[in-house]
Amino acid sequence: MDRKKYKQLRVIVTFFVSAIVSLAVIRDGYLLAATGILTGMVFMVLVRAKAKIRTDERESTVQEKAARMTYAIFAPTIGIAAFLLLLPSKGGISVFSKGEWLFVESLGMIFAYLTLFLITIYAISYHFFNKKFGGGGNEE
Amino acid sequence: MKNKLKVLRAMHNLTQEQLADRIGVSRQTVIAIESDKYLPSLGLAFKIANLFKVKVEDIFIHEGKEDDNEN
Repeated sequence: MDRKKYKQLRVIVTFFVSAIVSLAVIRDGYLLAATGILTGMVFMVLVRAKAKIRTDERESTVQEKAARMTYAIFAPTIGIAAFLLLLPSKGGISVFSKGEWLFVESLGMIFAYLTLFLITIYAISYHFFNKKFGGGGNEE
Repeated sequence: MKNKLKVLRAMHNLTQEQLADRIGVSRQTVIAIESDKYLPSLGLAFKIANLFKVKVEDIFIHEGKEDDNEN
């Protein structure tokens, strides 16, 4: 199977998975939705492995740049959002600490943990790849 | 960085698709290299040079300014 056929197959599988997920969500069958997504993913991984489709180096570069930009935008955004959402409750503004506004603090906490999680993942992967590509070595 | 990939490809009567298949990349990558939008890795540059039986520096010409894939 060549790259073109693989791409066509990917479009078809995506279409079917989307249809299954849409139907499942309409019928409140979240297990079916999860199963559909999982099956689609496993199928594509197997096809990719069997057809020996390699990731093109330009594609990898594009993915790296997109990932870097996503991190650069997403991390500060949710970090600032967490700060802004937590600020009223810590600042003693009573309207945000009761009733229907309680969710603001909870959302702020979720965002704060998400930010920490994201930064931790970035730090770990940075450390791993830095080591993999020879950074920090003492060899001469 | 400029390159003579398009000229070499024409000299060898290869289509972009054929060249892409021979060097194991997509046609989009060949197009991007030919139009100086993407600078190939050292490995790919050597692969191209080996295919056309020329030196890497005969295909890729460095013009002195920083012109990598950071754009």
